[in-house]
Amino acid sequence: MNSVLVTHADLPLGLRIVKVLWHDPTVSRILALGEGAIPRAFNPYRAGVTPRLVYERIDLARQRSVSELFRSKRMRVLGVDSVVYVPRHGAAPEGPPVVAKIPARTAEARLVLHHALETRSIRSLVALGSAFVYKLEPGNANQLTERSELDLDPEIAPELRSWIDSDMLFHAEFASARLRVLLLRVPAVVASGGFIYLHPGLEGAAGMRVRPAGFDPLCSVISDKDVARAVRAALQADTKGVFNVAAREVVPLSVLGRWTRRPCIPVPGPLLAIASGAVARFGGEQLRGRFEGPYLRYGMSLDTRRAAEAFGFTPRYRVGVARAGDGVMRVEAVAI
Amino acid sequence: MSGDNRHGRIDGNGASPKPPPVEVVLGSNPFVDALAGEVDPLDAWLIALDRLAAGGEAVVPARPVAAASRTTAATPVPQPSPIAEPYAPEPEPAVPQGTFARLIGEEANQKLAALLGRIDGWDRFGLSRAGLAQAFPFFYAMYKLYFRVQSHDHEKIPAEGPIVLAANHGGLLPFDGAMAVLDVLLHTDPPRLPRAIVERWAGTLPFVNVFFARVGQVVGTHENFARLLGDGEAVLVFPEGVEGIRKPITQRYRLQRFHVGFVEHALRARAPIVPMAILGSDDQAPILFDVKPLARLLGLPAAPITPTFPWFGPLGLLPYPVRYRIVYGEPLRFHERFDPEAAHDPGLVRALANQVRRAIQALIDKNRA
Repeated sequence: MNSVLVTHADLPLGLRIVKVLWHDPTVSRILALGEGAIPRAFNPYRAGVTPRLVYERIDLARQRSVSELFRSKRMRVLGVDSVVYVPRHGAAPEGPPVVAKIPARTAEARLVLHHALETRSIRSLVALGSAFVYKLEPGNANQLTERSELDLDPEIAPELRSWIDSDMLFHAEFASARLRVLLLRVPAVVASGGFIYLHPGLEGAAGMRVRPAGFDPLCSVISDKDVARAVRAALQADTKGVFNVAAREVVPLSVLGRWTRRPCIPVPGPLLAIASGAVARFGGEQLRGRFEGPYLRYGMSLDTRRAAEAFGFTPRYRVGVARAGDGVMRVEAVAI
Repeated sequence: MSGDNRHGRIDGNGASPKPPPVEVVLGSNPFVDALAGEVDPLDAWLIALDRLAAGGEAVVPARPVAAASRTTAATPVPQPSPIAEPYAPEPEPAVPQGTFARLIGEEANQKLAALLGRIDGWDRFGLSRAGLAQAFPFFYAMYKLYFRVQSHDHEKIPAEGPIVLAANHGGLLPFDGAMAVLDVLLHTDPPRLPRAIVERWAGTLPFVNVFFARVGQVVGTHENFARLLGDGEAVLVFPEGVEGIRKPITQRYRLQRFHVGFVEHALRARAPIVPMAILGSDDQAPILFDVKPLARLLGLPAAPITPTFPWFGPLGLLPYPVRYRIVYGEPLRFHERFDPEAAHDPGLVRALANQVRRAIQALIDKNRA
C-alpha cells in the first residue's frame, strides 16, 4: 500500500479513517476528497514541505469533476494505488439527485468505481456499504451473514434504495482481475458524544423521530473507531468480496435513539402515514418522518466471522452509554 | 476513554454542537452505572403493571427529563440517571421487587439472580436482563398459584451443553411454553433459561414480538435454531406448531403431525432431545370449533369457538385455572448413533421425529392414566 484516496474525508467517518491511515506507517500519502472546505482537524497533518496529506474539494456526484480528478497530474504524482470509498453521511446523508433522478449516493458510488477500474495504478478499492440492505424476516433475531438475501423489494423505502444500488454496483466487480474490491457492510455507526451515522432512520440532525408502535427492533452498532480499523485492515488484506463488520453489542432502537439524542415516538400503525405527512409538512428539521422500512420493525445482528477470518478484524471498542459532563447519558465507545 | 470528538462538529444543523467532555465517577465502571439506569420501554410497562397489581398507581412510562446536574471527579457524588428517573429511581434490581416478587421463595430468587448475573444488557436475540427480571414474578405467580405446576423427572434434563426440549402444544395461548420455561429454570442447577422457538407470525405482532424477545423467546428460523444450539443453549420446541394449539377438544392430548427441523438441528449440533409432556395445557381453553374460513380472512392461525370465547370477549381467551403437570422423558441421544451428515437424509429425519413423537405421546398417556 502506497497512496490512498479517501472520499468524503470532510465528513465524520472520513475524518476518522484519514486519521487512522495517517498514523499507519505503511501509507505514504493520503489524498483526501471532500465537498467542503478543508477541515481544521487536518491542519496538524499538513505540516511540512511535502505533507503526507493532500486535500481536494470535489463534487463526487458529477461526472466531469471526478473524471478530471482521476486523470489529473496530481493523481499520477501521488501514485494513488488504493481507494477508500466513504459514502455520503452525517448531517446531509442524501444529496439531491444529479442525473435522471439517480440519488447522489448511487451516482457517487458508480463514478468512483468506474474511474477506479479505469485507472491503471489503482489496485484496490475498499467501499463502505450499509448492513441495512439485507432482507429482514419478522422478529427481533435476524442473524445476517454475507450470504443473506438482499432486500430487492421494489417498494423499498427510498433511503434504503440507494444503499442497495451502491451495494450491487460494487458486488458486480468482485470478479475483476485487476481491481481488488472489498465491500464492508456496516450497521449503525456510533461515535462518542451521542452521534450516529449510516442508520437510515436515525441519521441526520438530532431531534425526534417517529416509529411504529409495538415494535422495538434490535440495532446492530459499531464504533466509528472500529470502522476505521476495519478499513485499514481491509486495505492491507489480500482478499476481496463482501464482509460484515460490527461490534458485539446490539441495542433496541428506542434506547439507541435516546442515547443519541434522537428519541423515537411510537405511533400506532394506522396513524403512521398521517403522522409522517404531518411531520414532513410541519416538523421541520427537528422531527423527521422516516418510518418506512422493515428495519424499524424487525431487528438484526451481523455475523462478522468472515471479516475476522479474512483480515483479522475483531471489534476493539465496546458501545454503551456514559454520563457526560452535563449529566446526560450519551453513547460512548470504550476500548475493550 | 478517548476524548477526541472532532468528528462531532459535522453533526447537527450545520451548527457546531461540540459534545461536552465525558466525566466518569471515580471508582465506578461508567457502562455498568449507565446501563443500570437505562430502562427499556417494555420494562417500564412491566414495572407499571407490577405496581398496578400491588394496588398502587400505575406509573405510565414518561419521556426522560434531562437534569443539568454535573458530576465531576473532584466531587464523586453519583447522581441518579436523569433518563431513568421518572420510573426507575433505584438502580436496576438484581432480584425482582413488588407484590408478585414477595411470592418468590429464597431458592427461586437465588436462581433468578444467578441467571440475571449472566446477562449483560441485551443479547443478540433480544433477551433483556431487565425484561426478564420484571416478567419473572408475574409468571412465577401463575406457575405457583394459578396453574399449580407439578414437575416430575426434571433430573433428566442435562445440566450443560446444547439440548432440545420437545413438548406437546395446546391451549390456544402459549402459557404452556411459559410454564415449561419456568419449570426448567427452577429445576436446573445452574439455572438454564430455555429459549422457546416461536412462530414467525408472532414476530409480526406489535408489542407481542417485543415482549417475546425480551423474555428470551426466539422466532423460529433455521439460522436462529442453529445459533442457539451452537451457543450451548437449551432450546424449547413445540414440533406440532400451530396445529397443536388449534386442535379441537376431540383431539386433545393427541399429538398432531410433527415438523422435523428440530431433529436436523439436534443431529448437526450433537444435542440430545429431551421429550416433555405438558399435561393441562389442552384443558385450559378447549376448542369446540375452529372457524377456518374466518381465520383465513383475518390472517390468523385460528378462529376458535370455546365455551367462553367469543361470548365473554377477550376475557374469554384467558386460560382456565387447570393444574399443570410437566413430565420429562429420557433424553434421546440420536447424535450418538448418527453422524451430523444424517441430517441431510429426509427419511431418517422423519423417522427420528416420529420416534420423538411416540416418546412424548407415551409420556402423556402414561401420566394421564
